[in-house]
Amino acid sequence: MGKNNVTRRQFLSYTLTGVGGFMAAGMLMPMLRFAVDPVLKADAGGEFIQTPKKASELTSEPTRVDFTYKQKDAWYESDVTSTAWIYKDDNGKIVALSPICKHLGCTVNWNTDKAHPNQFFCPCHFGRYEKNGKNIPGTPPPQPLDLYPVQVKNGYIYLGKAQPRTHV
Amino acid sequence: MHEMKWIPEDIETYLNVKEYVDTVVVPLYGISMDKEMKQSAEAAEFITLLTTRIERQFTGRLILFPPFTYLKKDPIEKALADLFEWHNVLKADFKHIFYLTSDSDWRLKEDMLQGTLIWLPSIPLKSMNDSQKFELIDNQSQQLFSILTDKWIESE
Repeated sequence: MGKNNVTRRQFLSYTLTGVGGFMAAGMLMPMLRFAVDPVLKADAGGEFIQTPKKASELTSEPTRVDFTYKQKDAWYESDVTSTAWIYKDDNGKIVALSPICKHLGCTVNWNTDKAHPNQFFCPCHFGRYEKNGKNIPGTPPPQPLDLYPVQVKNGYIYLGKAQPRTHV
Repeated sequence: MHEMKWIPEDIETYLNVKEYVDTVVVPLYGISMDKEMKQSAEAAEFITLLTTRIERQFTGRLILFPPFTYLKKDPIEKALADLFEWHNVLKADFKHIFYLTSDSDWRLKEDMLQGTLIWLPSIPLKSMNDSQKFELIDNQSQQLFSILTDKWIESE
C-alpha cells in the first residue's frame, strides 16, 4: 500500500460529506431562493412586451395596435389587452401613444371627429390632442397623452410601460 | 383611472368625478336551469365580455353596473316590473341608461322600457381560441360604441 492511498475510512467520510452536502444544498437552495425571490424578479415596469406589428409596416398615419400580456390581480392572473397608436414621425422615429384620455380615462381615437381632422379625439367629453399627443387647449384634457418607450427586435415593435409627460 | 366597475376603488373614483359620468350600462341576464342552463351561461359570458369592453372604451363617462338577473321560468312582466324599480333609482343620477342583453324576450317589451335596450344574439365562444374571441368581441363592440356616442351627440 503506497503512502498516498486513501483508506477505507477516509473514502467513506469524503463520499458521505460530498453526498450529504449536495442533499443539504438541494434543500437549502429553494429556501434561499424563496427568501430573496422579490430581488430576483425583474421589474415589471421595465419589461418590454411584443406587439404583433412590424416596424416596416408603419406609416406616418397613426395605426391602432393591440397587444396582450398577463396581469396579476390579487391571486387571479388574467390576459390584458392594451392598445397603442403608433406612427413614424417626420424624422422616421417611431412614436407610440397611449390611447387613455388624460381627462378621465376614456379611449381616444385617431381622426374620428369630422370637424377636427388629423387629431386624436375622445368621444366622452370631446377632448382633443394633436398627432404628437399634445393636448389642445380649450378641451378637457390637462396633459399630453402618455408615451410608450419603443424597441424594435427582429423587426417587431416592443412597447414598455407608458410614461406620462408634462409637455411635448 | 382606467376603469369604472362595481368595485370599491372605482366607485370612489366615480364619486369624485360624478358630474362627468352621465351614463350607466346594465347587463340583463336571464337565468335558466336544466336544459337551457348552458345556453344561459353562454349568453352571460358573451354579454360580460361586451360590457367589459364598452366600459374600458368609455371609462370616464360611463359606469358598468352589476347585472340585473332574473329567472327565465317566470313571466318577463315580473322582471320588467323589477327593472322599472332599478330604472327609477338610476335615473336620478344618470341621463343615459343602456340595457344590454341577448334575451330576445326583452325586444317585445322595448317600448315599455325607458332606457335604451341593446339586444344582441349570443354567439357561443367555446370553440374559439383567445385571439378569435378577442376579434369577435372587438368587432361587435365597435358597433355598440357608435350607438352610445350617437346618443351622446344627440343630447348635446
